[in-house]
Amino acid sequence: MTDHLSPATLNAVADGELSADQHATANEHLAGCSSCTASAREQSLLKSATARAGQRYTLPPELEERLASQAEAPATARSMSGIWSPGWITAAALLLVFSSMTVSQRHTRKVEIASAEQAALVTEVFDQHIAMLAGNLPPQVISTDRHTVKPWFQGKIPFSFNLPENLPADTTLDGANLTYLHNQPVAQLLYSIGKHRVSVFVRQKHGATGASDLATEHSGFHVTDFSTGDLDGVAVSDVDPVRLKELVSLIKGAQS
Amino acid sequence: MTLLPWKRTVNQTEPTGFADLALPLLPSLYNVAFWLSRNAADAEDLVQETYLKALRGFASFAPGSNFKAWIFRILRNTYLTSRSGLAAMRTVALEDESYLEGAIDRQTPEINLIRLGDCAAVQAAMETLPAPLLEVILLCDVEEMKYREIASVLEIPIGTVMSRIARARAALRTALQANVAPREFRA
Repeated sequence: MTDHLSPATLNAVADGELSADQHATANEHLAGCSSCTASAREQSLLKSATARAGQRYTLPPELEERLASQAEAPATARSMSGIWSPGWITAAALLLVFSSMTVSQRHTRKVEIASAEQAALVTEVFDQHIAMLAGNLPPQVISTDRHTVKPWFQGKIPFSFNLPENLPADTTLDGANLTYLHNQPVAQLLYSIGKHRVSVFVRQKHGATGASDLATEHSGFHVTDFSTGDLDGVAVSDVDPVRLKELVSLIKGAQS
Repeated sequence: MTLLPWKRTVNQTEPTGFADLALPLLPSLYNVAFWLSRNAADAEDLVQETYLKALRGFASFAPGSNFKAWIFRILRNTYLTSRSGLAAMRTVALEDESYLEGAIDRQTPEINLIRLGDCAAVQAAMETLPAPLLEVILLCDVEEMKYREIASVLEIPIGTVMSRIARARAALRTALQANVAPREFRA
């Protein structure tokens, strides 16, 4: 009798990860070892039990519908790039007819995509703010002086911005981080209002975003945005939303 | 029945568009997202963000490669930067990725074999797993991924995948043995 099968081999038996040779060797051992046979059986039972128990949560139909509607636009684009057989030409002609009927539907879809992208932005901004709070790390540039924080971004981001000179009584600039939203470099300006921490993300305007007057709540945190000619900004904090809006208005005003 | 030429072409075409590939995986993504984030709202956010990231980055996906592993990697990376992911990963340190001989208990209590048939008991045991062990069990047992696919999703070596699976199953056996009372996640 050889040594017992290792835990790795017993798991690999249950997971079907052994090569033909390894499988033959393992089978030979299992045929003569009741202990390993019992262990291998239990591994398989455990695997099938977790496979069953793990199928626990059902996708909400409304989420599925919302995401499916967002995937239709790329699917339509793909259908246009197929092989041009006579049948496809007929199909293309039909598609042209249908496309004229679906202009308004596309507009609705665009609105839905914009709404979903905005929801994703809120989540991403929120995650970055929580990461900053949880990390408890000093800002990449630590300064209460706007003339130190602004120049720090030179060469790091492809745009510039202004910081307000006069802040409300208990509001201070703590510093800033260079971070990324939607794969774009952004300035994360860090303020404190009393003991509440505030992140203001300033990024270059892209597409037709902006002027959405976003004011929402996410897990108890308030999120508000602003837009100027060249910049978009989003602020997140657990401070009173009126105070947050006041700070955002000052930052927006400093850009003009 | 004779099919029109264009219809035959459609029938022979493998799914290559984003919707064809992604939509069938939504139930799996949501299930894994819910297990990891442990509540419905975070799971929806996680799936939606994953879906949008995948949609935006689909041009970088190599046709013919493993789409499931690709989108699950996006889900996992998105989870890691989420609030729940940060909390879960911050509180867990996998101090030892090596195998322990004790990972297989050769004196399996009979009660475990009985309790394996109790879905609620197994779910309760799974809830006790730390995130790095839970995710490997979900990918291996529930999603039926091969070790190399799991390694690709988690961006770790195959040896570490095997080690984590061994540790996860040992932890599950211990939890079942400890008669963990079933509890519900908050919805």
